[in-house]
Amino acid sequence: MVGTPVLFVAIPLLAAFLIPLLGMIWKELVRIVPGLVLTYLLILSVNLLNHVLVHGPIVEVIAGWVPPIGINLVFSAFSGFLVVLMEFLGLLVWAYSYRFKRNVDYEPALKYFLMLMMLITGSVGIVLTGDIFNMFVFIEITSISAYGLTAFYKGRNSAEASFKYVMMGSIASTFLLLAIMIIYSQLGTLNMADIANRIHTMKPAYKIISYIFFVTALGIEAEIFPLNGWAPDAYAEAPGPVGAAFAGIVVKAAVYAIIRYTYTIFDLSGTLNFLIIIGMITLIIAETAAIRQEKLKRMLAYSSIGQMGLVLVAFGFGTKEGVFAALFLMLNHAIIKSLLFFSGSYLVYNSTEKKIEEVNGMSKYLPITSLLFALGAFAIVGLPPFAGFWSKLSVMTAAADSNMILIMALVLIVSVVELVYYLRVVNRIYFFKKEASIKPHRPTINAMVVMLVLGAIILVIGFYPDAVTGILHKASASLMDKGQYIHHVLSLKQ
Amino acid sequence: MKKFLVILLLAVLGYYIADTYFDIGFGQPHFVKSAAPVKDIYLAKTQNPLKVSNAVTSIVVNFRGFDTLGEVTVLFLAVTVLGSVLYKKRHHVGERSVLFNSSSIVTSGSKLLFPAIILLGAYVFIHGHLSPGGGFQGGVIIATGFLLMLLAYENYSVSHTALSIVESLAGITFAGVGLLGFMHGGTFLQNFLPSGVMNNLFSGGVIPIIYIAVGFKVGAELTGVIYTVLHEKGENNG
Repeated sequence: MVGTPVLFVAIPLLAAFLIPLLGMIWKELVRIVPGLVLTYLLILSVNLLNHVLVHGPIVEVIAGWVPPIGINLVFSAFSGFLVVLMEFLGLLVWAYSYRFKRNVDYEPALKYFLMLMMLITGSVGIVLTGDIFNMFVFIEITSISAYGLTAFYKGRNSAEASFKYVMMGSIASTFLLLAIMIIYSQLGTLNMADIANRIHTMKPAYKIISYIFFVTALGIEAEIFPLNGWAPDAYAEAPGPVGAAFAGIVVKAAVYAIIRYTYTIFDLSGTLNFLIIIGMITLIIAETAAIRQEKLKRMLAYSSIGQMGLVLVAFGFGTKEGVFAALFLMLNHAIIKSLLFFSGSYLVYNSTEKKIEEVNGMSKYLPITSLLFALGAFAIVGLPPFAGFWSKLSVMTAAADSNMILIMALVLIVSVVELVYYLRVVNRIYFFKKEASIKPHRPTINAMVVMLVLGAIILVIGFYPDAVTGILHKASASLMDKGQYIHHVLSLKQ
Repeated sequence: MKKFLVILLLAVLGYYIADTYFDIGFGQPHFVKSAAPVKDIYLAKTQNPLKVSNAVTSIVVNFRGFDTLGEVTVLFLAVTVLGSVLYKKRHHVGERSVLFNSSSIVTSGSKLLFPAIILLGAYVFIHGHLSPGGGFQGGVIIATGFLLMLLAYENYSVSHTALSIVESLAGITFAGVGLLGFMHGGTFLQNFLPSGVMNNLFSGGVIPIIYIAVGFKVGAELTGVIYTVLHEKGENNG
């Protein structure tokens, strides 16, 4: 045995409580310890994923009570894949911010790294847990860290963005509790596998109401269309690396939760069509909004919302190819959007307004950063030979297999729209004259390494997609197999 | 027209939600309709292997102790976020604003009450497994004691470093007990101490230890919140 899933939660919590004490001994430890924790957890997650791919899912029991009495964590190929992705991105975000936050005081630095670590831990907890109330607790941990990180730069705009986020997040928590309450009152259990096993005994009306409450609550974090009012503001006002953490980690966790409820727990008919419809609406509205943005980070945020819509559409096909395409999209989006946020925040580092016009002619002053931004822009649009091409292609083939011609057309049109607004930025970087008033800020060495690693991954997946498709196929098979999930959790004996 | 449609939509939604929740029947003796509800198992196991007299405690700290660890973290994070939002550089921190000094009745009365409040708080969290109290309640009572002192005395101060040390140590104790359970029993937060005789102070396995840690943590955190909010003032009006 290489380790157990509970360490993904226990170790960061222990570290979070320990860091204020360590900071009193040596101030630099505040920055170093989160990185050590994330490195260890990344190694652990890779080891566990290798174990799970061969031997089947690990179900961990907490406090010695088997499900449905106690809480359990499930590390399957599907959740394991997401955990590896999140810990990896978390480590990169940490490395990027290590010197990025150099100039702040000791106390804000302590709080920044604490909140960042808890943001990652909460998201990993959402993915790992097998209990709906426990998921609520992890969602609280994630969202409270996210509110704090959004308001990290003090000022009117970030306070407003954070307040919006707090309001919507509180409504989300209320809906989540209402949904949990209905399920508990009807089935007398909170364990996901147990609920999935017995949900057919629940009245359909209750099922529909609780499902809608779950999707409304999680849709706020997952940036589904009518609920994503907080996202552009929060992305624009939060520090650059935090935008990457939101797009790559928090949103992925919320999408995971929606998918888990749809595929494993509820047996409602029509939910898949529902996912396709809300995904399509989100995609269309977000992409048309992105093209009208004047600020770089808001544009990236809307593009992120659009990509999440596409992920939901792909999950909505309900076929193995659809799930595979959705997971591939999630992986690519996490990597490419992080690169865009990382390089984009250096392009507009010293400008006050962070407008797209202010990246004019940056290629001469920040050649590598500009090149990486262009690489990310081409990759997310889906140009070959970059990573994004394969995920868009797999969405198209999945749509073709399900005979959804309309969606194929939609994906193509949306790609053109994306091409327009990303190329507009790249065009400005390479072919416009720089305004004299803006002084470019050179990336630190950490940030450079992180961005180069992400760029290299995009190229590797682009030229050799087989490097990841094997794991993705196993992950999608593990999500589709509802019976196996229930069996693994409920077959444990005291 | 638009407003009318919105109200109509909300009314329809509200009707269905209210209908559902009235139908569930909260407060009825058997509102959980399922054949094998978890609550019966909880009630049975509280008595026998755990030997805890308060079922709420056994659920909160033992069966669902992982959630409680999460909630403790939520509180810790909330305090951290508040501190980060209200953070000002040391020399920008002004004095507390005092509109009028408290009367001598309040100052001398609070001196008498303060130890009693702390004692009551400690009693509540130490007896968490025997009574309907617990770490969260006891911690809040302790924080109210500090609030009284801060209100009564203009220049009463609490050491930030001490608060943060208590908070950290209490959190480490909770997570550490969980890891000890992992080493001794095989699962995280497992009870590794003998459960003792029911209704004795030394019973309930690790529950009292966890509740004492939670009590210290909540007390220190809420005191920190009160202190931060009272003292953070801008340079202009301080």
